[in-house]
Amino acid sequence: MGEYALMIVGAALVSNVVLTRFLGLCPFMGVTSRTDTALGLGFATTFVITFSAMANWAVESFLLQPYGLAYLRTATFILVIAASVQFIEMAVRRTSPALFQMLGIYLPLITTNCAVLGVVLLLVEGRMGFVDSAVFAFASALGYSLVLLIFAGLRERLAVADVPALFAGPPIGLFTAALLALAFMGFSGMTTH
Amino acid sequence: MQSSAPAPAGTIEGVARVVRVSGDVAWLEPEQTTSCGSCAAAATCGSKGLATVAARLERRRFAIANSTGLAAGDRVVVNVGERALLGAALLAYALPLMTMLAAAMLAHAFKPGDVIAMGAAALGLLAGLGVTRVVGRRLEARGRLAPRFVRRSAAPSDCDAR
Repeated sequence: MGEYALMIVGAALVSNVVLTRFLGLCPFMGVTSRTDTALGLGFATTFVITFSAMANWAVESFLLQPYGLAYLRTATFILVIAASVQFIEMAVRRTSPALFQMLGIYLPLITTNCAVLGVVLLLVEGRMGFVDSAVFAFASALGYSLVLLIFAGLRERLAVADVPALFAGPPIGLFTAALLALAFMGFSGMTTH
Repeated sequence: MQSSAPAPAGTIEGVARVVRVSGDVAWLEPEQTTSCGSCAAAATCGSKGLATVAARLERRRFAIANSTGLAAGDRVVVNVGERALLGAALLAYALPLMTMLAAAMLAHAFKPGDVIAMGAAALGLLAGLGVTRVVGRRLEARGRLAPRFVRRSAAPSDCDAR
């Protein structure tokens, strides 16, 4: 259990997907104007990243590695991620159509986001087992969601702050992201995961 | 996706287009489906997934009571409560994920093995989706998942920044 805790801290804070690996920057800038939508998207992204990682682990372990098809890895992973998202959408739609419709208006699912692919490729490098891969992907997604939420909170405050016209909007958002990345550098060296 | 005007406290607004009116009911489609949500006209965006934009929008079609004389082609602003949206996201995504992970970890703790853990994860996912189904139906019966009409919206510019 202690090993999982270390892995979660390492993947979520020390090697944060957005602020350390610079993956998934499009939603990071695009959907972080409000904390509630950022949190909702965080839930959705966490599900997509973890589920895709599990599906891709199975494809890698039972298909790509045994049959020497590693050269097809990236294309296969993208296809599996897109299929996973379709599966999740279909499952939610079948489970509760009203829930699906409501979420479809406000929280469209991430599909070929590079953060999803990045986490899956990191798992291949790590050569972990199924459960370790799932926990690592979950922790990475948790870190991604945490940063989305923190950044959304900061942007809500910036929206009412007296920012010089030259820096208003995306420029001050990027400065804030840089400062946030510097703050997360404080976690570096805590774990080796 | 959200309108440029600030939403009332405690609610989240979104823009949808009326595609059909039948009697007292108007059928609407949400205006965009990209993950970044920053561009209402992003028909060529790479984050569409396997289905076409039209197919995805059609699946997300929803109905509201047409008490204000809406016609096909109208753009309208609809809203839901913040808590309702967060609850829906928690129910649809977080709950099945947690049951899936918990089942995989439990199975791995009792009997180590990747295939067993995968089977347990699949069962956990099904269990989570089952709970989502039951709770989702209750919320739907209480009207907690239905978007409400707020106002008509102006025509979009090429790129509606959030």
